Amino acid sequence: MTVAHVRMDNRLIHGQILVSWNSHLKIDHLIVTNDKVAQDPMQVTLLKAVTPIGAKVSVLPVADCVKYCQSPAAEKENIFIIAKFPEDGCELVERGLQIPVLNLGNQAFVRGSAKLSNTVFLTESGVKALKKIHEKGIKITCRMMPNESENEFWPTIEKTYPDWVK
Amino acid sequence: MISLLVISHGGLAEGLLDAMQMITGPQEKVLALGLQESEAPEDLIERIREAVETLDDGDGVLIMVDLYGATPFNSSSRLFLESQKKIEVITGVNLPMLVEIVISREGQTLPDLLEQAFQSGQTGIQKLPDALRKAKSI
Repeated sequence: MTVAHVRMDNRLIHGQILVSWNSHLKIDHLIVTNDKVAQDPMQVTLLKAVTPIGAKVSVLPVADCVKYCQSPAAEKENIFIIAKFPEDGCELVERGLQIPVLNLGNQAFVRGSAKLSNTVFLTESGVKALKKIHEKGIKITCRMMPNESENEFWPTIEKTYPDWVK
Repeated sequence: MISLLVISHGGLAEGLLDAMQMITGPQEKVLALGLQESEAPEDLIERIREAVETLDDGDGVLIMVDLYGATPFNSSSRLFLESQKKIEVITGVNLPMLVEIVISREGQTLPDLLEQAFQSGQTGIQKLPDALRKAKSI
């Protein structure tokens, strides 16, 4: 399978991905994965209708996303996965998706979240999901744009949320 | 009268309205919204919904966004699907488009205004006339 990139981004498909990431990675299949989004017909319609990059767009529950990425159909593709939340990223990995790096993109402020940066606010459950990803030996990066640092970001998360990583 | 709602990343929408009113003078039923870096699409949809409620007098609202496929567009499209109000959405908002439709919207229907915005947005982009390039080389 050729999953080029997994990004956890609650904005799903948006400007940064269409403009910056698409020109960087030459995506030919964009998979949005989150169980709730996949069950919202209006959101599925929107995601498929308005994405202009010429790539195939799928919206799948997390389990189906992993199954697809392990299927022969995925072998010829350059796949970009957008998981909505860190919890979705963690589920991808726990269901067997083999990937060396997970990238943390936009996570907007929600009730109970705390600030990591101007564009990333994490909940306790999100931090715990990232911890599980880290403990599986997967590198976590925090890149909004392709030109940002590919350094391991876990130490910053650990330092920012000392009570939630326990 | 049709209302205009300009939505962009950051401060562009606000700036466009500011620039437009330098040319057209103060205008009613125009509003700008800017997506903030930390803002969720769901929160932006709610702000757009409120702005449409505030603006609309029954003639409809033309939502003008900066970039096709990006969050201001996605959130506007979602509202288009959900709302019972007369809403249209156009992308690539620029100053020529905005100036032209703000002064010609009186008495127009929403589909006509959308078409006019679509045309004026494109014809508003021009290269320096060849006459000037020739004049310089003489």
